[in-house]
Amino acid sequence: MPELAETYACVPSTERGRGILISGDPKSNKVLYTNGRSVIILDLNNPLNVSVYGEHAYPATVARFSPNGEWVASADVSGTVRIWGAYNDHVLKKEFKVLSGRIDDLQWSPDGMRIVACGDGKGKSLVRAFMWDSGTNVGEFDGHSRRVLSCAFKPTRPFRIVTCGEDFLVNFYEGPPFKFKQSHRDHANFVNCVRYSPDGSKFISVSSDKKGIIFDGKTAEKIGELSSEDPHKGSIYAASWSPEGKQVLTVSADKTAKVWDISEDGSGKLKKTLTCSGSGGVDDMLVGCRWQNDHLVTVSLGGTISIFSASNLEKSPLQLSGHMKNITSLAVLKSDPKCVLSSSYDGLIVKWVQGLGYSGKLQRKENSQIKCFAAAEEEIVTSGFDNKIWRISLHGDQCGDGDSVDIGSQPKDLSLALLSPELALVTTDSGVVMLRCTKVVSTINLGFAVTASVVAPDGSEAIVGGQDGKLHVFCIVGDSLKEEAVLEKHRGAITVIRYSPDFSMFASGDANREAIVWDRVSREVKLKNMLYHTARINCLAWSPNNSMVATGSLDTCVIIYEVDKPASSRMTIKGAHLGGVYALAFTDEHSVVSSGEDACVRVWKLTPQ
Amino acid sequence: MANAASGMAVHDDCKLKFLELKAKRTYRFIVFKIEEKQKQVVVEKLGEPSQSYDDFTASLPADECRYAVYDFDFVTAENCQKSRIFFIAWSPDTSRVRSKMIYASSKDRFKRELDGIQVELQATDPTEMGLDVIRSRAN
Repeated sequence: MPELAETYACVPSTERGRGILISGDPKSNKVLYTNGRSVIILDLNNPLNVSVYGEHAYPATVARFSPNGEWVASADVSGTVRIWGAYNDHVLKKEFKVLSGRIDDLQWSPDGMRIVACGDGKGKSLVRAFMWDSGTNVGEFDGHSRRVLSCAFKPTRPFRIVTCGEDFLVNFYEGPPFKFKQSHRDHANFVNCVRYSPDGSKFISVSSDKKGIIFDGKTAEKIGELSSEDPHKGSIYAASWSPEGKQVLTVSADKTAKVWDISEDGSGKLKKTLTCSGSGGVDDMLVGCRWQNDHLVTVSLGGTISIFSASNLEKSPLQLSGHMKNITSLAVLKSDPKCVLSSSYDGLIVKWVQGLGYSGKLQRKENSQIKCFAAAEEEIVTSGFDNKIWRISLHGDQCGDGDSVDIGSQPKDLSLALLSPELALVTTDSGVVMLRCTKVVSTINLGFAVTASVVAPDGSEAIVGGQDGKLHVFCIVGDSLKEEAVLEKHRGAITVIRYSPDFSMFASGDANREAIVWDRVSREVKLKNMLYHTARINCLAWSPNNSMVATGSLDTCVIIYEVDKPASSRMTIKGAHLGGVYALAFTDEHSVVSSGEDACVRVWKLTPQ
Repeated sequence: MANAASGMAVHDDCKLKFLELKAKRTYRFIVFKIEEKQKQVVVEKLGEPSQSYDDFTASLPADECRYAVYDFDFVTAENCQKSRIFFIAWSPDTSRVRSKMIYASSKDRFKRELDGIQVELQATDPTEMGLDVIRSRAN
């Protein structure tokens, strides 16, 4: 049975112009963040130890551990809050529809009995506080007229709630049952985040007007500001107190994070400015932060998580990254089977090493979006939505210069002849284009709607699949294709075709959930009835010793068949990736790497039966 | 008497062979076919008790509809030997539409003739009547 060996997690999904809220477990070094419909629990000490909760029906926005560390409350864009167990199977305790629009922030009361949620509620309910197990309301929250971006619960008695929002106001409520007490209009722009210090004596509000204001925790009087010498030069998106309550970490759109010392009288003095190394572009804007015990975690717009050490601010941070969007292709480098390259449609290529995790991003000179990508020994070939094919040479982790060629119409599929990688076959809507290095040697209009193609490792043969389910086998003669046979067995558009590593067989998958293994020489069906998926097959991979075929589908399952055994004796991995599996590769006889819509890469170990 | 809407006539042999399977356990499976010319359901194949589930799946054509009855033996969680009689309406996606329609409309009448069916199953491709599906339906 296949077992999950490693997960390379995705990074928090970010949006330009808004901060994101990440939170942590009060007891251990785990941080919580969301990406798409999943909530990810990441262990800071061991980034490979990741747990994913995928039960939300809508994109999740924020998640928080309860004060006793047992439960997690997570919220999504539909206004629903789900409370589930933090360990093991993440059993759902309760689900409430709290607001009528997206929820932007969520906080537990310190005794874990009440939860306050705030967000966008179409004018009426912008903030609601309720009992965690029954959902009954514990207060009336009026006073805001626009989206409420953040809320905070005073961690000590007497309980107070502070909310802040796009109407530039910071509102203060007393209770329970909570009632409006005071409002402050000290900020000149959106107030992005409001946070209480752990001892409840002060709270800080930070805003897009680059200021941070400190208020008294009980009376909500303004007591001080973050000092204006060397302030942030851009909107401040988030703030987080240190566990002792004497320091605050703020992150800003000016690509720096600052640590401030907060004195007893409430004024803040800059202690240190932390910068992360990066390419210097928009992706380095910092949008989220969290002070977790000894770790200072900051998240950038590009999804890079930097972990600084609080006790040693001079040390350079540990940087983790990953994909934020759907990973569409995977490639395993032959020269180093432990290394996996994954690319997502937004143009990001990340290198992962088994056992270590994130190993680096491949910086390309041109950051265009990628539709398909293939890797050979020393170079990678990518095709994008802009009709261009790029060949980029690969030296270790760096990308050398690339050459591009415009092929005239949008490429649908790309295949490299592995033994002679200058030959690449690209399929477009109505035909194929053959490339040698970066020259288009021929553009052949095939007359039928083409959906998938593959070229043999030695460049002698190519198979093209069409919308009607027929497989056309061509012999490559010089620079042109000669049709040799047409194979009809599939009942849906062909989605993927792959040759086996020893070139004796090939396998094809279609949109009608069926996969077939054929013998290459005789073109006879070798293994059929591989119909166990319930949705279209997206990807297919052969094991290095030609004995197994793995198929991944939109139905989130990966099924591994053995070519010598009947299709019914198969191994299924259910729920491999929320949203569908889009790419598969074998790294060795017993490991399969898969990636999908949830932007995670997972490695599965197959134990032989 | 028999037409496509109200169901084909059932040959007496079908009922006799089914009762033999049920009472005396002389067959592992029976495959029935609708003969359009005679407008009735007749017995096409009989399986020996020694034959297995794989022999049964092999005896069903891949692109034509059939009805089948299979006597499935299994051991329950409490270690009891039990058996269930399955009625399988084999209607593969690759068969002709006319064939599927005739078999679908005659199925109810045919089932009424066979008294003692415990589980009914419709399979449109081999994966839907795999051994794991049968096992899960048996409980």
